[in-house]
Amino acid sequence: MASSGVDSATDLSIGANTDELRRASSWLGEFARQHDIPSEQIWRLDLCLNEALANIIAYGGAGASSSAIHLHLGVRRGPHQAEAVITVVDAGAAFNPLSAVQKQKPATLADAEPGGLGLPMLHAFSDSLNYRYSDGHNRLTFGVSWTEARQ
Amino acid sequence: MAVNFDDVNENFRRIALTGRLDIPGTEEISTKFTALAVSEKRRVVVDLTGVSFLASIGIRTLISAAKALQQRGGRMVLFVGGNNAVAKTLQATGIDALLPTFTETEEADKAAVA
Repeated sequence: MASSGVDSATDLSIGANTDELRRASSWLGEFARQHDIPSEQIWRLDLCLNEALANIIAYGGAGASSSAIHLHLGVRRGPHQAEAVITVVDAGAAFNPLSAVQKQKPATLADAEPGGLGLPMLHAFSDSLNYRYSDGHNRLTFGVSWTEARQ
Repeated sequence: MAVNFDDVNENFRRIALTGRLDIPGTEEISTKFTALAVSEKRRVVVDLTGVSFLASIGIRTLISAAKALQQRGGRMVLFVGGNNAVAKTLQATGIDALLPTFTETEEADKAAVA
């Protein structure tokens, strides 16, 4: 990814509850459309954001539920390539989705256990995925990239 | 989020889901969908062509209902039509290997009643 181009960013703080999921999605959609992010990339970011937030709400514990979740969305455009990246910062229990063991895919419906699909989706639909824990906060960053249409 | 159904005959039901299957959307339809889908020896086609967003919670609901239906001697198949977003989500999670998934309605019907 080239470092040249116009950078734009936006931030949002939300509560750690399911009522806030659609507010986060609307925030993403509005910014993405304003900045001509392709619909495929908006959809992938939306899926990743939804799964990341659902994970925090379900498993973040008291630390997550008593603090706001901070979202940062940035878009960077190079001469040919572009990327949009979201960072999710929460004060919940430390959890690194990059080192978490993913369940094996079941072979049959009878073997399938409901759940455990959030992490595979996060991995499948992001082009970049990073995590660090600092100052008592999880900082999960995921991004999608695309080739800019030639003018 | 909406759930509609059409009974083709006593044992064959089409259920159409419309809207966003994220946590709020899934919570809205989960009880009704499961009640409509899970019945003794019922064959069910779940029409996902009108689903704009399929999160893991939505897939979980589909899997739970499909398992319960299978345990009662029934069968569930999915119809996605040209909904590429839903098809890609099912593919990425491997669910299309567990629940037969079709792009043509005739094929979905045929697989459900086979």
